[in-house]
Amino acid sequence: MKRIALPAAIVALIALAALVLPMLLPWSHDAIDWDHVRAAPATAGHWLGTDELGRDRLARLAVATRITLAVALAAALVSMLVGVGWGMIAGWAGGRTDELMMRIVDALYALPFMFIVIVLMVVFGRSILLVFVGIGLVEWLTMARIVRGQVMTLRHRPFVLAAEASGAPVRVILARHILPNIAGVALAYLTLNLPGIIMIESFLSFLGLGVQEPLTSLGILVKEGADDMDVAPMGLQVPGGVMVTLLVCLTLVGERLRDRFA
Amino acid sequence: MSLYRLDAMGVTIDGRDLVRGVSLEIAPGECVALAGASGSGKSLTSLTPFGLSAGTITGSAVLEGQDLAGLDEAGLRRVRRASVGFVFQQPLTALTPHRTAAQHLTESAMQAGGARPDRNTLVAMLDAVGLADPAIRLRRYPHQLSGGERQRLMIACAIAHGPRLLIADEPVSALDAHLRAEIMALLTRLRRETGMGLLLVSHDLASLEHHADRVLVMQGGQVVEAGAAQAIARAPQHAYSQALWAATPSLKAALPDDLHVPGAPLVEAQDLTVRFAGNGLFTRPVTAVDAVDLTVHQGEAVALIGGSGSGKSTIGRAIAGLGPVSAGAVLWNGARLPARRSLEQRRMIQPVFQDPVASLDPRWRVSDIIAEPLVHLRPDLTSWGRAGLVKKALQMVELDGALADRTPAGLSGGQAQRVAIARALVAEPQMLVLDEATSALDPLVAVQIVALLKRLQRDQGIAMLVITHDLALAAQFCHRAAVLDSGRIVEQGPMAQLIAEPQAAMTRKLVAAS
Amino acid sequence: MRALVLRRLLTAIPTLLLVLLASFALMRFAPGGPFDGERPLAPETRAALEAAYGLNLPMGEQFALFLQRTLTGDFGPSLVYRDFTVTQLIADSLPVSLTLGGLAILLALVLGLAAGMVAALRPGGWADETLMLVATIVTALPSFVTGPLLALIFGLWLGLLPVGGLGDGLLSAPQYWIMPVIALALPVAGAIAKLARAGLAAALAQEHIRTARARGLGTGAIIARHALRPALVPVVSYLGPAAAGLLTGAVVIETVFALPGLGRYFVQGALNRDYPLIMAVILLYAALIIAFNLIADLLYGWLDPRSRA
Repeated sequence: MKRIALPAAIVALIALAALVLPMLLPWSHDAIDWDHVRAAPATAGHWLGTDELGRDRLARLAVATRITLAVALAAALVSMLVGVGWGMIAGWAGGRTDELMMRIVDALYALPFMFIVIVLMVVFGRSILLVFVGIGLVEWLTMARIVRGQVMTLRHRPFVLAAEASGAPVRVILARHILPNIAGVALAYLTLNLPGIIMIESFLSFLGLGVQEPLTSLGILVKEGADDMDVAPMGLQVPGGVMVTLLVCLTLVGERLRDRFA
Repeated sequence: MSLYRLDAMGVTIDGRDLVRGVSLEIAPGECVALAGASGSGKSLTSLTPFGLSAGTITGSAVLEGQDLAGLDEAGLRRVRRASVGFVFQQPLTALTPHRTAAQHLTESAMQAGGARPDRNTLVAMLDAVGLADPAIRLRRYPHQLSGGERQRLMIACAIAHGPRLLIADEPVSALDAHLRAEIMALLTRLRRETGMGLLLVSHDLASLEHHADRVLVMQGGQVVEAGAAQAIARAPQHAYSQALWAATPSLKAALPDDLHVPGAPLVEAQDLTVRFAGNGLFTRPVTAVDAVDLTVHQGEAVALIGGSGSGKSTIGRAIAGLGPVSAGAVLWNGARLPARRSLEQRRMIQPVFQDPVASLDPRWRVSDIIAEPLVHLRPDLTSWGRAGLVKKALQMVELDGALADRTPAGLSGGQAQRVAIARALVAEPQMLVLDEATSALDPLVAVQIVALLKRLQRDQGIAMLVITHDLALAAQFCHRAAVLDSGRIVEQGPMAQLIAEPQAAMTRKLVAAS
Repeated sequence: MRALVLRRLLTAIPTLLLVLLASFALMRFAPGGPFDGERPLAPETRAALEAAYGLNLPMGEQFALFLQRTLTGDFGPSLVYRDFTVTQLIADSLPVSLTLGGLAILLALVLGLAAGMVAALRPGGWADETLMLVATIVTALPSFVTGPLLALIFGLWLGLLPVGGLGDGLLSAPQYWIMPVIALALPVAGAIAKLARAGLAAALAQEHIRTARARGLGTGAIIARHALRPALVPVVSYLGPAAAGLLTGAVVIETVFALPGLGRYFVQGALNRDYPLIMAVILLYAALIIAFNLIADLLYGWLDPRSRA
């Protein structure tokens, strides 16, 4: 448990900062300070300086982190709901139903989902809703497979049979016996999913398809920073550093949870 | 001249003394057995001197004049390679799954520096351990062999390099009763033929009398009694040895004469057949249970006996309404039970499973576990009423009420099984289906559970279907027995008659093995 | 074995059809078309273009036409790169992408397996902790960060390697491949390292390792004969997702390093609604992933005979 504490605390700290900072800072994330364009850090109330449009970097960073985390959580929840639901039904039903449901998962797995998401983004416009639904739809497959495996193992455990012998109807067994026993694994993989989702979002931003102006995200900041790398390396280093830290800590927490529960 | 000698040997792990003061001596061709329940330290005693456990030894261990205590890992490896062979308990997990029998044998034969054996030699090796069709078996993987075949393969590998000493750690515990005698006989034969010494670790006391020369009984890491095998078997002196011997059912014991008198037929299986479809496109369906007729009367205990894969669990599940039925019927008081049973029908037949820990939801508390059948099968009760019945059930299985708030993680094996039995009894069923209910328990604990079942039967008149592979166990409290082989009942009748005059081949094997 | 291949191929067909249908539907029913460029076209010109490309036929017919053409390998002309057929574009750019991907996965396997196995030999030791932390960090670095970073450091500042393009021929100038392959391979290598470490550590904890030790085998023989195959199982089951990851990563790398590969064309095609190109590429990528999954399954069977049953 000790080993979860540190990375989890870091994530919590970052999230807290992202939530609170914009309210405390004098500059908003899209306000333009015409007098201080490309300012160095700690000039005129801009703790991290300003970017090439004169926007406060720290404010942008905080808002970007908020949005990235929100998108990631929302997408992860979508993927968890669909994945857990699908996996539970397939794992419990077994037989033909399971075969069919898992074949569908296999078929969908083969789809180059990334590209479908890109196509979706291009076609349907760039709403933030679509972003996280789209991402969620990419990630549910792994969750479905894992949940289905767990449910199948539990399905034949004697305590489930005993519950059947006790006259418990299926929905009660699923809710009170199966779900609590897969909650740990589901949570672990949910946490492990988050870094992947954040990467997908940043990839979409790289292509210009992710979160749109006036909103911003870590992916956008990193892309802008990378474009500007030779001129203002800090524009890449700081958001990049935050993103990598978030990803690494989330991965560590997810792995510890997975080791504990699975 | 002794082959292997331990003098006041002890085993230490992480600073704790887990075994103390063991002394024994094995001459060539002799078999010395370490007996005791799990946790007694017998495996540690046999494996640690050769560097195969997590511990280190204190005292002296001498093999053919060489002291093992001072050797480092490289030295011990040389000893293992050249002079000692090992047979472990679970051949399925102990043999590398992706290597064929031939590869295993070849590796073992060459481990002491021998030449690569040719095919005929390999066939001869498998033949020597009594494996049928050795040429075909060579190409098989361990999971494609049956339990008995795997253990024979493991033995063949263990002796392939001609060791002077063979160490067998519970070689037959994971096998069905009727196979045990054969494997033990094989070990004895090999010992006599090659002059190998054998250090046998076992809790199957019945076989020690016939196959061991000397026995050391261990408890809590120390030797409590040692002597000639037959002497100890016939008249154990130490209290622990006596308890251990008493806990092993044997057919030599007299059959009980105080069993409940059975009443009218309660549950009948008529022409019961269960078929499982092959999985995927290319495997054929399997008939697990083939036209079985079985009757259990009120207050009667009927034993359903067979080896693994004989279909006994499948029958048990079908009767308990927890498994599929492809053809035939299960009758209750003469009326056919439908595929979807009513709550009242469910209440009448309750199951108890083999693995006590897996049969309890790890996240629920004991009181909730026991109350679960009442929640669904006795909806007329209030939570007060349920609590009262739960308390009564705990008393019936002789468990302290203080356990009610624990989760299964805080229970021992025996306690967990009692909870499972309490859950089965709480709704006042008329029949219990017990699927290998004592097989996973320590022998001393198993004795107590059997006593509990006997008492329940006598006091409550509950009918029981006792599914087991151990005939001697069933003989202790069952009126009648049915012997199952490959899904068919090959013989049925009163217990005494079955034991005295077994007709079918399978029955005879079972009787001989007990 | 044959049954498995057969079953995979059977599942592949509906998958590919699904892919085609989905992308077709999306393209056609979405707002905007390939000719909604920046300069509005005269109605007659547009009508003529649409007729030429068959875009004014009813939907069902368009799809049927597409299917027909696909089976013969004819995807028609690209709507954006007007002088080229889609097949030509693919034929020109696929070798680049395949080389990039192939080299990357080789590198990832070599690095990942080596790191993972070294770490697993002493679980909990400092090598283990360090290597795994590095692996985690490496998987957290997006390729559009590592790519430009590498280009910056080794290309611009140190001047050691060329920053973009391919030079003359495909493999004539290996220095053009070094940075792109490394940038693409790193995240996959990190993932493989973690899986290999977990796999080997789990394999060494199995009971049959004790039997191998009981036979007096040395560490090398134990690992090579008894632990290696089960250790590779998690790595192999990652091959499918790894392929998908490489494909998406390749898009980024090709853009960053100006490599004329398929990923770049796909992005341009998606943004400009070049329907035939998009569909052909999606189809191709789906086929690649299916192929990878099939290879993974076959490898599985070899690694663990119990799964063949």
